[in-house]
Amino acid sequence: MELQIRGVSKTYSNGVQALKQVSLTIPAGMYGLLGPNGAGKSTLMRILATLQEADSGSATLCDPSLSSKQVDVLRQKDEVRKTLGYLPQEFGVYPNVSAETLLDHFALLKGIAEPRARREVALALLHQVNLWEVRKQKLGGYSGGMRQRFGVAVALLGNPKLMIVDEPTAGLDPAERVRFLNLLSELGENSVVLLSTHIVDDVSELCTRMAIIDQGEILLEAEPLGAVADLRGRIWRRVISKPELAAIEREHGVISTKLLAGRTVVRVYSDGVPGPGFEPAEPDLEDVYFSTMTGHIGRRPSPQVAP
Amino acid sequence: MKLWGIFRFELAYQMRRPWPWLSTAVLLVFAFVSTRVAIVPVTLPQDFILNSPFIIAAVSVFSCQIWLLIAPAVAGEAAARDVHTGLHPLVYASPVSKTEYLGGRFLAAFILNAWILLAVQVGSLLAAYAPGANPEIIGPFRPTAYLAAYGLIALPNALIATTFQFSAALLSGRPMASYVGSIGLFFLSYPVTFALYLSGLGERGLLADPIGIMAIMNEMMSKWTIVEKNVRMFTLQGPMLLNRLLWLGIACLTLTFIALRFRFAHRTATDPLRWFTRFARAAPARDTAPVRIAISAPHVRRSFGFATHLRQALSIARVSFWLIVKSLPGLFLLVGFPMFLALVLATELQHWGVPLLPRTGFLLSKFMTSPLTQAADYRVVIPLLIVYFTGELVWRERDARLSENTDATPTPEWVFFLGKFLGLVLVLAGYMVSLTAVGMITQALEGYYDFELGQYAQILFGLQLPEYLLFAVLAFLIHAAVNQKYLGLLASLVAYFLIIFASFLGLEHNLLVYGASPEWSFTDMRGFGGSVGPWAWFKLYWAAWALLLAVAARLLWVRGREAGLVTRVRVARLRFTRSTLGIAAMAAGLIVALGGFIFYNTNVLNEYITKDELVQRRADYERLYGKYEDIPQPVRASTKLNIEIHPRRRAATIRGSYRLVNRDVVPIDSVHLEPAFYVDTRVTFDRAFSHVLADDKLGHHIYALAEPLQPGDSLTLDFDVQLEPRGFRNSGSAKSGAGMGVVENGTYFTSGALPVIGYQPLRELWSADDRRRHGLPRQVTLPAPGDVDPSVAAGAAATFEAIVGTDSGQVAVAPGELRRTWSDARSRRYFHYVSDVPINGMDVFFSADYTVHRERWGLPGAERGVDLQVFVHPGHTKLLERVVRSARASLDYYSAQFGPYPYRFLQIVEQPGNFLGMGVDGSGVVTGGEGVFQLDPHGDGFDAIFEIVAHEMGHQWWGMQLKPAFAEGGGVISESLAWYSAMELVKNVKGREALRRFMHFMREPNPWPAIRTGLPLLRAMDPWANYRKGPYAMLALSEYVGEKQVNGALRTLVQQKASSLATTLDMYRELQAATPDSLEPLLHDLFEVNTFWTFDTKKATAMRTALGAWQVTLDVEARKVVADSAGKETELPMNEWIEIGIFAAAEPGEILGKPLYVQKHRIRSGRQTITVMVLQKPARGGIDPYNLLDWEEGDNIERIEVQGSEVESKKR
Repeated sequence: MELQIRGVSKTYSNGVQALKQVSLTIPAGMYGLLGPNGAGKSTLMRILATLQEADSGSATLCDPSLSSKQVDVLRQKDEVRKTLGYLPQEFGVYPNVSAETLLDHFALLKGIAEPRARREVALALLHQVNLWEVRKQKLGGYSGGMRQRFGVAVALLGNPKLMIVDEPTAGLDPAERVRFLNLLSELGENSVVLLSTHIVDDVSELCTRMAIIDQGEILLEAEPLGAVADLRGRIWRRVISKPELAAIEREHGVISTKLLAGRTVVRVYSDGVPGPGFEPAEPDLEDVYFSTMTGHIGRRPSPQVAP
Repeated sequence: MKLWGIFRFELAYQMRRPWPWLSTAVLLVFAFVSTRVAIVPVTLPQDFILNSPFIIAAVSVFSCQIWLLIAPAVAGEAAARDVHTGLHPLVYASPVSKTEYLGGRFLAAFILNAWILLAVQVGSLLAAYAPGANPEIIGPFRPTAYLAAYGLIALPNALIATTFQFSAALLSGRPMASYVGSIGLFFLSYPVTFALYLSGLGERGLLADPIGIMAIMNEMMSKWTIVEKNVRMFTLQGPMLLNRLLWLGIACLTLTFIALRFRFAHRTATDPLRWFTRFARAAPARDTAPVRIAISAPHVRRSFGFATHLRQALSIARVSFWLIVKSLPGLFLLVGFPMFLALVLATELQHWGVPLLPRTGFLLSKFMTSPLTQAADYRVVIPLLIVYFTGELVWRERDARLSENTDATPTPEWVFFLGKFLGLVLVLAGYMVSLTAVGMITQALEGYYDFELGQYAQILFGLQLPEYLLFAVLAFLIHAAVNQKYLGLLASLVAYFLIIFASFLGLEHNLLVYGASPEWSFTDMRGFGGSVGPWAWFKLYWAAWALLLAVAARLLWVRGREAGLVTRVRVARLRFTRSTLGIAAMAAGLIVALGGFIFYNTNVLNEYITKDELVQRRADYERLYGKYEDIPQPVRASTKLNIEIHPRRRAATIRGSYRLVNRDVVPIDSVHLEPAFYVDTRVTFDRAFSHVLADDKLGHHIYALAEPLQPGDSLTLDFDVQLEPRGFRNSGSAKSGAGMGVVENGTYFTSGALPVIGYQPLRELWSADDRRRHGLPRQVTLPAPGDVDPSVAAGAAATFEAIVGTDSGQVAVAPGELRRTWSDARSRRYFHYVSDVPINGMDVFFSADYTVHRERWGLPGAERGVDLQVFVHPGHTKLLERVVRSARASLDYYSAQFGPYPYRFLQIVEQPGNFLGMGVDGSGVVTGGEGVFQLDPHGDGFDAIFEIVAHEMGHQWWGMQLKPAFAEGGGVISESLAWYSAMELVKNVKGREALRRFMHFMREPNPWPAIRTGLPLLRAMDPWANYRKGPYAMLALSEYVGEKQVNGALRTLVQQKASSLATTLDMYRELQAATPDSLEPLLHDLFEVNTFWTFDTKKATAMRTALGAWQVTLDVEARKVVADSAGKETELPMNEWIEIGIFAAAEPGEILGKPLYVQKHRIRSGRQTITVMVLQKPARGGIDPYNLLDWEEGDNIERIEVQGSEVESKKR
């Protein structure tokens, strides 16, 4: 079970190049696609979810359990959809329909033709996403989190082998987020789950592999733990006052600044001790992300830092 | 100033969208084409001026109707875009006042709409001044005409319609609701207003029209004379002005209401019905959300086969069905519109107050069905709703922002398409069920319990539903292909307009207009009469096209985010699988096969000619053979026919002969003969001849006689005519001439199937425009009566004899006295009809399973009497008695008054067809449509059939004996005198009270509203003058001069003009001779000029005198004006004898009580007081109580106030 993306490019009619030669290999399990807003994550997700056309490149879903073994994601859309679970970044509902009814409708669309089986699956999923008690209520009255969970239920219908979830945790409260991520990770045991997010923690907590994307380009493809380990000894922190910031940014490879109790904490990427006042810091995935975005690691050309 | 900013932003925003521009373009083209092609003025027989204020105003009115349907997006977007896009919390929370926000948005929408409507005037201007217009029909440039049309029609409509579109969108929070508002306005403006107009409210009903279409068109179309239509400037006045003011007022009130009701508040639901379904609104759901151990979903079998796809489609269909049914327009279709229809039935299922029998086939074919290609009545809202529903369905998931979820499911595109289509099918089927319910309820209310459910199913589901479904497929394809909601609606509407206006654009063949077919027909007599076959072939052909469209819709179905054309074409290519190819190939194959078969029938087996070609042929005919118009030709003196009708084979053979006499003074060397079109005719003479010219295309043949026919000599012409259907024609079988007249039951054909002698001037082109285009000399449509040669001989009457054979179960009818009937060995029945008295007009032939009533009528002392026969369908015998009674009474009275009835027979025949009319085709024959025989005068209500038959019987004198010359005033000679005769008959047989009731129905504005301008009676041409004013004038004259004198004058006229054509001048001369000098001025006022008297009784009081009599004092007002044909009215002083009438209280069943006093008084113009004494207690009184001169009912008679008690008390 593996999804191979090779050289996928996409340019919108207004000239924006959303994806530039994106190549990724996504094995079974949770895969995080990390990037800022507007990086091209959603475009890639929609292309993989058969909802958008790529200008060039290919995407292949290899699955020994499938009859044809290999599915051309970009061309064999009907085949992909049979094994696809997709949770779009934004979606609405029919306000005057109950969750149960709409989920049943979706189950049929997903190919569960037998009414009893459909009902069984729908109720089980509603349990699973914790909407069982409110299953008979109109979707118009659902909160954002409830709608999101309903969307998850729709995506989970039919035991998808390829699960694409686009920024799923954006509207969830902390408890919901935890439960949602648990749900996903369970699923990741025997399918490809591609999760796009701009929240680093989502990836660090769940994903076995990840990629960082910005301006349509894959900057880094790695295992989160390995990437963090690779950074060990190269991240330094220093607490400074605000006026010092400009000078430090000029002289060092600052990857992030944070306010901490009124003081400014800068983190700097450096192979050796960057200078006085800096102390070594234990790297985390956020440092991987920022180091990649600032070009210290990964495929982005390194920034010219003044010596 | 914020208002200004909001206004500017909105204007700029929408100006950058495509829909305002496309709407503008569509309107411009529509105005241009409708002016040029003259969709509007097509009803004008004479020359019209392309840029007359009338045409400009009429085009503006119709364009407003189109605009209403295509451009609601402007107001909808302005009102509801913020809510729809979810931007409203930002806007509502900003420091803008409600007035600024709504005001700015509304103004922007209004200005934009005003701009769009400007395109109409540009289109009109271009039609007149762009290259290609005929300079002969361009009048002087009158900018005020354009300004008036724009300022008085378009701008008020922009304001009114924008108000309602804006309000609907604002209240519901959905831009699409503006379409609902528009359809609502459209529905009110045309169907509802028209129904109200017909329901007896008359002009008051026109107030209901929000955009003034009916109000304006009624005024201009039917009340303006042709002269006025060419020159009169359009202004708002009378009912038009009232209508505009009323609706502008309503619009302002609505705006105020909306502004007050609107809140900058959070919106929870956008259900348009939420005011009604408040209880069902989605309440916030409580999120329990305890952390729960995940349960894994059970593994179930999934399948992606055809069966699953079908289930998916059905599920989508169900969801789609409920979406529509629960929406306001859906409820309108299933409940509101059928209820409206029930009201229409309640008011229209009658004629002159006599209920019509609600037979199922009649109800269905007259009130509930109509082909897609015709938009002539209120059912036009159904296609409009289909367009709207299709848009809602295609956009459903995207509107709910759920499309990405559904599009990613393993459901093929065709399942979505099929599901939604089936949903719409269910909705339309629901509509058919509603129609069935309406029909049955109407029948039950009328006491008719023979519910023919099979017929409902057959006609509504079998014939009407497919019309709508074909169109729905097209609308789906357009919405799927255009992929922008408003533009999809616009394009679908344009497609619909193209379908209904196809013939104006030169597309006449049903193979070329989507969904078109010949019409089916259903009547009690004929059943479907073979009309369904051709209908079905065409529908199958279009169904094959629909299948192809469905394939295209599937290929272009938008899934996911890609909307670019290139990408969609690429995706479509991916979807073009082998099975798709197979279906497309099958559809294409069917199109070719069915199309080929139809073409073979319509164009190979039969001749197909376009309107243009027909016009061309008529022009050629006149050019080539017009020179023979006045050459001496023999005249038909007798006709002998042997007709064999074979109803089951739908064929007939006619063998016949004419005896032709040379009544001229010179020998005749050749006979010009014109056989009927589309039948086989063979001709021989009883002497040597040669066939020197055979022009089958133009239908003219010349036979040269070896020896010329000397004056006074005669010859015999034998002919053989075969009537036989050959396949079917583009127009189906109903309207395709003599060859198609033979059907299983209800055969009807005329002597039009037989050859005629000589050049036929009636076949010449008469429309001024056609004649000009073909370079033919301008023709005066009708000469003035004084310009006609008074000695022109009337068309020749001929003796007639026919033996008609038909199948054993049927009765055959031909003109004449029935001499003998017999059956032969093959059990065919034969009927021998003879008229020794020469008859004229058209001979008509029937064969059907008739119920026959036969009796002899004769004046005492007459030698043989008249063979009176009435032929009706066996189920239609209810009226038989009344018909016979009227015919007898007419024969009695007319013979005594106007001269003896000359023929030995009188036939009254029910003619197959649902029309509600009677007519006289020839001597001794009166025909009536099946509609007439559905009149159901239960009880002793008004007995319309007596009056109608009396009128047609009148034509046996006025039209058949006294024949009008082809000149102005011809209608007065035939129609006016026939109605006058009926009035006198009613007065004599049934009394004044019955006459009063009869006149009351005559005065209804439908079908002929009063036209005050126009030509005076002696030169009258418009129907109101012929059918209404003429009879009124004759009746007034007979009341003033005396019935005997007037009828005597008419009797003399018949005698004098026995063998030549009559004009109004001949009639006038006789009337003058009968009128005493003192009444000459009245005669002049009635006939020579357009005089209108207006009388009004302001107050009527009575006092009891000492002697016990009553002194009545009337305060009356009188006025007399003369109107010229351009509409100018001049008041004239009057000093004339006018009736004053005082009446006792009315007995039950009477309108007016017993007359206590009716005398003529000298009346001057203006107010005056009249005092008369009566012996009994008066109840009502007034001036001109019988409406002899004031032809508008209403204020002539008032209730008399009795002030007697005071007088009495004083006496004591």
